[in-house]
Amino acid sequence: MPSSRQRSLRTWLFWAVPVLLLLTPLATNAYTQFIINGMLISILVTLGFTLVIGNLGQLAFANTAFFGIGAYASAILSAKMGLPWIMTIPLAGALGALGGFLASSAALRGIRSYYLAIITLAFGELMRWAYLHTKPLTGGTDGLPLPRETMFGISLSDDTLKFYIFLAVTVVLVKATLNLLRSRFGRAVMAVRENEVATASLAIPTARVILTTFIWSGFVVGCAGALFARHVGHVFPESFGMLHLIASFAMVLVGGLGSVLGAVLGAVILTALPEYLRAFPGMEELFFGLIVAAVLVAMPMGLASLLRRLSPIFVERYYREES
Amino acid sequence: MTELLQVNGLSVRFSGLTALDDVSFTLEEGAVRAVIGPNGAGKSTLFNAISGYVTPTSGTVHLKGQELTTLTPHEIAEQGVRRTFQNGGLFPELTVLENVLTGLHAQIEGSFLDILLGRSKALKSEAENIHRARELLKLMSMDHMADTRAGDLSGGQQRIVEIVRTVASDPPVLLLDEPAVGLSPVARAQMMEIIHRLAGEKGVGILLIEHAVELVMAAADRILVMAAGARIAEGTPEEIREDRAVLEAYLGHS
Repeated sequence: MPSSRQRSLRTWLFWAVPVLLLLTPLATNAYTQFIINGMLISILVTLGFTLVIGNLGQLAFANTAFFGIGAYASAILSAKMGLPWIMTIPLAGALGALGGFLASSAALRGIRSYYLAIITLAFGELMRWAYLHTKPLTGGTDGLPLPRETMFGISLSDDTLKFYIFLAVTVVLVKATLNLLRSRFGRAVMAVRENEVATASLAIPTARVILTTFIWSGFVVGCAGALFARHVGHVFPESFGMLHLIASFAMVLVGGLGSVLGAVLGAVILTALPEYLRAFPGMEELFFGLIVAAVLVAMPMGLASLLRRLSPIFVERYYREES
Repeated sequence: MTELLQVNGLSVRFSGLTALDDVSFTLEEGAVRAVIGPNGAGKSTLFNAISGYVTPTSGTVHLKGQELTTLTPHEIAEQGVRRTFQNGGLFPELTVLENVLTGLHAQIEGSFLDILLGRSKALKSEAENIHRARELLKLMSMDHMADTRAGDLSGGQQRIVEIVRTVASDPPVLLLDEPAVGLSPVARAQMMEIIHRLAGEKGVGILLIEHAVELVMAAADRILVMAAGARIAEGTPEEIREDRAVLEAYLGHS
């Protein structure tokens, strides 16, 4: 049983990280700030992905589709409809959630395992085809630039301002996801993964659990897409291809499948790693691949499992005693 | 005694094969009824048809007068007919406490939005049910293992946790699918005591599939004997011991 001291230490740690991060703009240059902003986006992308493939245990690879839908929704709503970018974040999330709904309908029709994998991969490629072939809306191969915009009198091209907005969105969505996982809902999600037949025998509506998990995953990743649109300032179809999917998959695995802490670690480390590997021009991809492989061979359960072994405060529990 | 479960002319046919053939019986409050029969007799099909995993071709199942036959498995469980599984239905990667809490899913209040926003309504109900789950584990002297991964328990402990999880919501009817299979004699005795306590003290109506003859004879008030999908005999343990049809089904014609 986690003691109340451990619980309060864990809560304290959870909030200490974003509070300390508030100070990073004082200590970084514009380039590092840009990389950190990208990490926050990757955290959300990885989190949404791990929920479906780790916690729910469904081999669905529609994550990059949700991300692209969110990014294009944000860009189109800002550029074509003149909506302030900040307002496009929840709308991009809603459209990502709609993508999640579509992906779940395949799973709910009994398309599972490798078949679900291939149909969701096709969904991602179909979306990419749609971005390329709806030129009036998406700009096709030229992509779609986001309009110049200011908030509080500061340009939205400012990486410090973006950092604070991204951080707020990330903290809210990570906290909400933790609330979900540490509840009857989170337990039901993993019960479906472990034994779907037995789950239904406990008065748990399994279809609704699957549907809701996909929708929430789509929402989180859709919001991340809106952040990404502003992060790069110009959305292109190539950003939402297989490369992005494989990179997010690696983040999920390196951090630890089905772990929120793992999603954060995997996203941060694999976003930072290429920057350090710039010291070895021409060998970057090779080293990147070797490091990912080495982590997975040494720690098949990911980096989160290492922390769990170091201290029980990192053990993720799916119930919540404090009220 | 109050009638809980009424099974009426239940049949299941899979394209030409009759897995369950016109089976009827009732289950009363506090009664333990065993279902026995050779492999392929239709015992598991009977369980699956009652709990909604297999749609009956004909016949009905009622719980206290309410029809269950048209409901899905999770709806039937919510109505109060809960079951265990022959090859173990625990969630191995969840802890013992988390497993028991899944049995209280429908009892925990708070909408999706309440949970998402961490509203006190959801948190309060969650805390109350955690308390309840811990109390239930304490009754079985399993409270010290609350944070153990269920997959790390011994076979006997897993069976007990599965039963705790299944009865956590106080269901009126319990279907136990071979609860003693693979258990040591000590664990078997413990399982017997649990079955007696649930029926005797809580008035749960228990339907029991079991191959362990001594457990069936000692635990059941009445025994339903099946062969080739149909009921071949029904009666008290003493009557069944003497029944010719039963001996033939098990030992062949003499």
